[in-house]
Amino acid sequence: MAGLASSIYNALFRRNTVMLGTVFASAFAMQLGFDTGSEKIWNSINQGRQWKDIKHKFMEQAEDDEE
Amino acid sequence: MAALASTTRTIARKWTPHALPLAAKATAAASVHQTRSISETHQTSSFDSPFKGAGAGTKIPSFAAYRNKSGGETGPRVFSYFMVGTMGALASLGAKNTVQDFLVNMSASADVLAQAKVEIDLSAIPEGKNVIIKWRGKPVFIRHRTDAEVQEAEDTKWESLRDPQSDSDRVKKPEWLIMLGVCTHLGCVPIGEAGDFGGWFCPCHGSHYDISGRIRKGPAPLNLEIPEYDFPEEGKVVIG
Repeated sequence: MAGLASSIYNALFRRNTVMLGTVFASAFAMQLGFDTGSEKIWNSINQGRQWKDIKHKFMEQAEDDEE
Repeated sequence: MAALASTTRTIARKWTPHALPLAAKATAAASVHQTRSISETHQTSSFDSPFKGAGAGTKIPSFAAYRNKSGGETGPRVFSYFMVGTMGALASLGAKNTVQDFLVNMSASADVLAQAKVEIDLSAIPEGKNVIIKWRGKPVFIRHRTDAEVQEAEDTKWESLRDPQSDSDRVKKPEWLIMLGVCTHLGCVPIGEAGDFGGWFCPCHGSHYDISGRIRKGPAPLNLEIPEYDFPEEGKVVIG
């Protein structure tokens, strides 16, 4: 445990520049994870009610209308 | 009377020399009192509360439960840096999203973008004909030029014109001339297939444009403007 903690400290937190880079990289990863996760939750709640789910019905009809 | 005067004189004489030893004695007494009071203060080694009944009840609590039991300081240090870093990451996310929301707010909305491009079927335009379409609220001239007109536009000595520009700089395909139908003088819409040079003529102040849309005569300072356009496939043009 102590070895792991000290290696994390030495790798990420010892130098201020490296720490700043770690913070920004983790912010990017956090945003990516948050966005994809919330998108998945939204899609699962609204399944079958979104335009991409019902698009095929209307797009086929529109093509029929044109011909 | 004389006896009284001599007595007072004697008292006065005696009193004056006595005044100084008296004052010296008083100072000595004061210093003695001071030293005694200091020695009294230093008699006990510990602090005694001056308040009655406060000394016995004071208990110092034990902080042993809160102390670091693991021994090393690496674990707590990593934890506190982790918390600081997480806080910084969340704060930078918030700042980034705030800035991004403002910038997205400034960019064009979807309904504007939907009108920004116009697609035209070129196969419906016969050779030697003009078509005027509306794009972003402005007229756009599309001219299907004949070979003779293309030859004429390319052979013009454009170096000596008011706004020198070669015909190849103004068209992507020589037979299709596409330009904004707004006179560069004061913004009237020129009339097609008119004027002294076989191109466009602005009726407002008499500017003559040639078959490449270049200003040849009249008050206009610049050639007719060329919009962004592209030929995504044969017989189609997308303006914008």
